[in-house]
Amino acid sequence: MENITVGAAAEWLRSLILYIIGNELLTDIVMKFVGLGACIAVILTAAIVLTYAERKVCAFMQVRLGPNRVGGRFGLLQPIADMLKLMSKEDIIPNGCDRVVWALSPMLLFVPSALIYGLFPFDEGAVFADVNVGVFLLLAISSQSVLPFLMGGYASNSKYAYIGGMRTVAQMLSYEAPMVFSLLGVVMITGSMRMNDIVAAQAENVWFIVLQPIAFIIYIITATAETNRTPFDLVEDESEIVAGPFAEYSGMRWALFFLAEYANLLSISILTTTFFLGGWHGPFLPGVVWFWLKVLLMVFVFMWFRWTFPRTRIDQMLSFSWKVLLPLALVNMMFTGIGVYVWRSMM
Amino acid sequence: MAGTETYTLNMGPQHPSTHGVLRVQLELDGENIISATPIMGYLHRGVEKMLENRTYVQGVPYTDRLDYVSSMNNNFGYCRAVEELAGIEVPERAEYIRVIVAELNRIASHLVFIGSLAIDLGASTGMLYTFRDREEILDLFNLVCGARMTFHYIRIGGVNRDVQPEFIEKTYKFLEHVPEFMEEYKKILLGNEIFMSRLKGISKLSQETALSHNMTGPNIRATGIPYDIRKVDGYSVYPKFDFNVVTGKNGDNWDRFNVRYNEIFESAKIVKQALDGLPEGPFMAKVPKVLRPPKGEVFSRTEGTRGELGFYIVSDGSTKPYRVHIRRPSFVNMQGLNDMCKGYLIGDSVAAFSAIDPLMGEVDC
Amino acid sequence: MFGKGLITGMRVTLKHFFGKKATFCYPEEKLPMPERFRGGHLKLDYKKCIACQLCSMACPNGAIELKVVTDAQRKRHLTSYIHHMGRCMYCDLCIENCALHSLHWDQNYEISAYHREAFDYEVLTDSDREYLKQVMEAAAANPAPPIVPKKPVPPKPAEAAKPEKEGEKAEEKTETEGKPNE
Repeated sequence: MENITVGAAAEWLRSLILYIIGNELLTDIVMKFVGLGACIAVILTAAIVLTYAERKVCAFMQVRLGPNRVGGRFGLLQPIADMLKLMSKEDIIPNGCDRVVWALSPMLLFVPSALIYGLFPFDEGAVFADVNVGVFLLLAISSQSVLPFLMGGYASNSKYAYIGGMRTVAQMLSYEAPMVFSLLGVVMITGSMRMNDIVAAQAENVWFIVLQPIAFIIYIITATAETNRTPFDLVEDESEIVAGPFAEYSGMRWALFFLAEYANLLSISILTTTFFLGGWHGPFLPGVVWFWLKVLLMVFVFMWFRWTFPRTRIDQMLSFSWKVLLPLALVNMMFTGIGVYVWRSMM
Repeated sequence: MAGTETYTLNMGPQHPSTHGVLRVQLELDGENIISATPIMGYLHRGVEKMLENRTYVQGVPYTDRLDYVSSMNNNFGYCRAVEELAGIEVPERAEYIRVIVAELNRIASHLVFIGSLAIDLGASTGMLYTFRDREEILDLFNLVCGARMTFHYIRIGGVNRDVQPEFIEKTYKFLEHVPEFMEEYKKILLGNEIFMSRLKGISKLSQETALSHNMTGPNIRATGIPYDIRKVDGYSVYPKFDFNVVTGKNGDNWDRFNVRYNEIFESAKIVKQALDGLPEGPFMAKVPKVLRPPKGEVFSRTEGTRGELGFYIVSDGSTKPYRVHIRRPSFVNMQGLNDMCKGYLIGDSVAAFSAIDPLMGEVDC
Repeated sequence: MFGKGLITGMRVTLKHFFGKKATFCYPEEKLPMPERFRGGHLKLDYKKCIACQLCSMACPNGAIELKVVTDAQRKRHLTSYIHHMGRCMYCDLCIENCALHSLHWDQNYEISAYHREAFDYEVLTDSDREYLKQVMEAAAANPAPPIVPKKPVPPKPAEAAKPEKEGEKAEEKTETEGKPNE
């Protein structure tokens, strides 16, 4: 069982293509496209599965049955129906909006959330781009998603959207800092920014959730804020600013926002798994199964947060980040540094 | 030269958290509220005028549509006013049944309050729980009067039909259930730190301000003034029951929430006592089929769910009232909105609307 | 400690996640409506009805539109009973005012419709019309003797066969109905 990995499958596919084409360079190019296709497939599948999962989790927590019409008793085809509905909706363009910026915003938002999938180690050897500054690149890319929100908010020519856009900037910037510092603890222990090394380090010793519990909690909180989910969903805050930057979008444009939201949800779950839960490692089952089990568990935890908590207020949220999370992350980093120093000198 | 200026944000009439069609003009400086002006009238149906064009008996179902979350209390208020005007003596059993259904409806209405406050603060699960438990009360009402929202159960001179033994039994069962679900709300909302921090110290009103706005009901009790017409006037059979007037201390949203939360227990207490002491007898007084109250006028007030619900009726001796005026507590309480929002953030304004607990059917009448 | 309340809340939602659900799959499972339930279409026991029009008069919204004929025996019958459901408040006043308890709800709550016309519901069924025809024919075969005028104002025998105007009828009814009660 241990031998069945996605990496091995990729190797096998590569040798097959090499056999057909007979050129190393061309094969590599083809393999890159295969990897790209796989990443996109993961995102799209995730969007479908996670919308269904979210509706069911939400319904079950709210003592409801959830979707149960389309596709049998359990409503399995509900996401497909939702998608068709979104595709067939009218594309409403608000009066007085900044057309170009307005149209670019949903597309640009989708790009960084899809891009970071290239960095995730799904299984042994299954990394699209195994960069040696993986963590750094990841944070750099994911912080790009601030801009499209602001663009959408600004270009919509709506006050609600504008407030939402401004809130996004404040929120995402202030939660970026503690997030980075919480991840630095992990990086310090591993001594590498390569994602594969981080996973490998956890396989050798223990999962980092044991070594870095505070960093884990900080990361979970900041990740919730970064993906704009309750209790930090102030960006789309439907009870105050209606839907924030999304308020004026409809149809497929809105669907792209939606897609990006679920891509983000999945990616923070994958990151939590990679950084703190030992990645693909686990006994008995193949790595890829372990990986997805852990990821889905994290997805459930994030959904669980969302359907339990009320949302915070903007000032509370920002002060929580700057006054609680950031000092905590720094202290955590200091103790990790001391710990790592002591450990190394003892070795 | 760069400068800052304020801007106006129209919240509503179509907005997810304005409880219907309230429009609030917020004058904002960034996220800070400078002033909040409620603009009402989007749901105006002319209920007062309608009542003037119907006979007294025909008017009762229209009062259902004022505060449609606690219709029983409206029926109660209107019927009491007409009875006072026409000098009708209501049998004791009818009074007991009225108190039972009115208090049950108060519980249902407060559950809606808790739920809507929860969803306005983003906790949609809390709202679903309250609506699940409110359903039990609606089922009870469906059993006794055949409707779930617009009951038209309390009539001039008594109640429409007698309560069934099944209703009494099920109500006892429901009362046993009350502490159970209240404990659950405590766990998911009341004890939740985020929920607390969203409400504590927000939208504070002093006793003087609240009085100057003529606020009534839970809103004034939250500031610490024990003004409850059930105690002050002691109308109907309320003096026979032992219950406390719940008051708050600070007059902030947290107190408003807690006052209503604890009033559910008090209402449950009243229902329990009324069920225990339910006397035998007729459930309807002898009321002439064509009611012609003598010439005169009356102002009768009852403690509605949202405050002092008053009906002012002038009779000219005919079958229809000459003039009806309704003192709607939601409308009067809305006047405090500006003071509750000023100086707080947009997020607090939503909590403030919810904490006033206005019902647009009643505000616009 | 900060966070305790959050954890308790999460315990509650997790319990309900695995617990029993409170909703039903509606069209498959229907909740029974209690006996007193007010809703749906009006149901008229046509044989009992004496076309007194009390129901229509009791309605606060004027949601009941009646057409009445008088047969040769000077008995009134309904030819049409339209329940304007769009106007109806389901306040039950018509049913309570029915002198002979011939009016009921059919307790069906599935009354939504795509078109407004569907809300002008005709209560009388074909069998009721059949019955009306029979009664009318029977009465025509055996007409009542003409009324001997007692008052100086003569009644209008010519108009007796025609459907009478509702307004006049209604006023007349109010007075006769009002007296014994007062």
